[in-house]
Amino acid sequence: MTHLGSLALYLAFLLAVHAIAASLWGVCRRRGMWTQSGVHAVYAVFACVLVAVIALLHALVTRDFNVEYVAAYSSSTLPMQYTVAALWGGQKGSLLFWTFILMLCTTLVHLQNRNKNRDLMPYVTATLMVIAVFFLGLLCFITPPFERLAFTPQEGSDLNPLLQNYWMTVHPPSLYLGYVSASVPFAFALAALITGRLSDEWIRTTRRWALTSWFFLSIGNLLGGRWAYEVLGWGGYWAWDPVENAALMPWLTATAYLHSVMIQEKKNMLKVWNLVLVILTFALTIFGTFITRSGVISSVHSFTQSGLGPYFLTFLILVLTVSFGLLFYRLPELKSENELDSLLSREAAFLFNNLVLVGLAFATFWGTVFPILSEWVRGVKITVGPPFFNKVNGPLGVLLLFLTGVGPVIAWRRASLKSLRRNFLLPLVSGLLTGVLFLALGYGHYYGLVIFSLAGFVLATILAEFARGTRARQAMLRESVPQAFGRLVSKNPRRYGGYVVHIGVVLMFIGIAGSSFFKIEKQLTVNKGEQFQVGRYTLHYSESKNTEDAHIASQTAVVDVYVNGQKIDTLYPEKRFYKRQNQPTTEVAIRPTLREDLYVVLGSYDAPSQLATFQVFVNPLLSWIWIGGLVLVLGTCITIAPNPAERRALALARVPATPTGETVAE
Amino acid sequence: MKKSKFLLGGLLIVGAVSYLMYTGIRETSTYYLTIEEFLPQRETFTHASIRLAGRVQHGSVQWDPKTLRLRFVLGPLAQREDTPQAVGIPVQYHGILPDMFAAGRDVIVEGRSDGTILTATTVMTSCPSKYEAAAGD
Repeated sequence: MTHLGSLALYLAFLLAVHAIAASLWGVCRRRGMWTQSGVHAVYAVFACVLVAVIALLHALVTRDFNVEYVAAYSSSTLPMQYTVAALWGGQKGSLLFWTFILMLCTTLVHLQNRNKNRDLMPYVTATLMVIAVFFLGLLCFITPPFERLAFTPQEGSDLNPLLQNYWMTVHPPSLYLGYVSASVPFAFALAALITGRLSDEWIRTTRRWALTSWFFLSIGNLLGGRWAYEVLGWGGYWAWDPVENAALMPWLTATAYLHSVMIQEKKNMLKVWNLVLVILTFALTIFGTFITRSGVISSVHSFTQSGLGPYFLTFLILVLTVSFGLLFYRLPELKSENELDSLLSREAAFLFNNLVLVGLAFATFWGTVFPILSEWVRGVKITVGPPFFNKVNGPLGVLLLFLTGVGPVIAWRRASLKSLRRNFLLPLVSGLLTGVLFLALGYGHYYGLVIFSLAGFVLATILAEFARGTRARQAMLRESVPQAFGRLVSKNPRRYGGYVVHIGVVLMFIGIAGSSFFKIEKQLTVNKGEQFQVGRYTLHYSESKNTEDAHIASQTAVVDVYVNGQKIDTLYPEKRFYKRQNQPTTEVAIRPTLREDLYVVLGSYDAPSQLATFQVFVNPLLSWIWIGGLVLVLGTCITIAPNPAERRALALARVPATPTGETVAE
Repeated sequence: MKKSKFLLGGLLIVGAVSYLMYTGIRETSTYYLTIEEFLPQRETFTHASIRLAGRVQHGSVQWDPKTLRLRFVLGPLAQREDTPQAVGIPVQYHGILPDMFAAGRDVIVEGRSDGTILTATTVMTSCPSKYEAAAGD
């Protein structure tokens, strides 16, 4: 099987090169046959990569420890779901998996556009296949995943225990999907720049791809946070680790793009800016893989220095040079057809929201690469840790939250004082009341209260929008309230789905503020039978248990939880020892409620004396981050869902402007 | 006229971002050194916020689980068996022992040194090499 796998990779590499050459040759010589051959090559590359993935999975599942990758990332006692997850648990496998997703996306794009965008598609093919050739080149010549060892070890050295967690089985695929699908809008942007077809054709074609990419990046980041919270055992979910930042930066620029693109569609402005954002988002995904794989920046979950760094850096420089070169070349054709009228307008709010988002991305980038820069400039490595990011990104985040409330409600072009009063009086009052309410509930922290008040303000603006729309339909079309509400959303899913996403973001802000500013932390060592107080909880360490199987040995402390003398729960924080990797890990016990999470870590355990050290956190409102995440996912689904009414309307509205007609992607 | 208003608004945001970043860098900078780089110039970094990469020296670990107090000597990464024990800086720490902590392990210590002893706020066992190093075992 592995021979078949490597053969498939070599074949894929050749076919990918052919796809680039054929589609470019075809378009230069106007030979449809050649571009068609390029498209067929794309499908063939996908098939080859699929075979390679199946071959590696086969090697993993059949425990073929003669294959170096299998021996390094699995063992005979590794549970099956993690054996499959080992496909992306290591360097080589994750590159293969990445290539697979890239080819999946590329194939889908070509199927979607079989009869559309004939001018753009050859260049889209070429761009996507250049990316594929880069990754296939690494897989064929630099880090072959099917490499065999000179001998067959009895046993593999197992997957890193930290990765043996169910979140870890879904987090990387989701993030990769997000990363990789960002290449589709990028490829269309490049094609638009090359062909000079700079109307918003390419934007409409890739709207759902951009949303999909954003969707998976959001989910990937959330799952990563969830994983860190449950597995790493330090009581938090986000540590501003370089790898986390690497996933956050493209998300920020993609968010900016999704907003500014509306301005281009409505007002024909910000064309250059949108192109820059698409290019940056793609470049940041490559930068992300560069950081994780090169070892230039030390991080908790980086792959080791693998010698891949220079390749990624070269590719990154190539991408940036070509894209910005083309952008510069087309600059004269990208003039705005309108200009901004007033600072008090939706355009302005969107523009500032974009600046803040890009500012956030830039600050995150700067903080992440600062150690390298300082070493170059001053010869000494200076790191900035979480305090830097909290200090810089915190206030910017608050500003962004404020704009989230303003943007969707303020009038286009120019808002009158009267409309401002009508739209914002109620939300402002709600915001203030929310602040007072939280203060009364005992959340007395200045920064936190600002965020809670803003959250109330934003929620009120969104709910008011829903109410206004529903009432209008009710009055005009005599519909019942649920009917009017349902139709309101389904007739304009893009707008109202967007509002739902905003609600999710607001809930996440509440969760972040609650768990950052009002957290209680305590660590102490107790004997069996002793009890101690953390916040409103009394914890009683009543028992300890030891269990052992072939894979894991574990020690569990039984902790009874009392509030006001009432026993409400029993928690089982655990210390595990993974035998193959010779590594202890911490299994956190969490009692989540809407009000707060009780988070108990068994810090250390002394078997003879049964003396246990506990680290206990009370994280107020933290569950709202995950709830907000779910709401965000729901909202994005609403905006992505196929909408025949919208498509018809769009097609009708666009026909006079672009004679090419129907180009909206599915 | 219109343009300048937006320029001003944009500049305000750019200015705010730069200001936050500037003060952020100034207030949160931590020197990141290996123990080999640190030892010859330890006076320079007295009371500065530092992050040191080194190896926990054999026989130096004192851990009291009851009080959560830890003391050990942070020695060079390329520690040979025959080098004298005195090379390194004593570290004191109060808190939970990280999972992988043991004599001979590579750790990253964050804190401030008063010239003779380093008071650590964080002790991290360094993970980066784990992914691939495990394969070579």
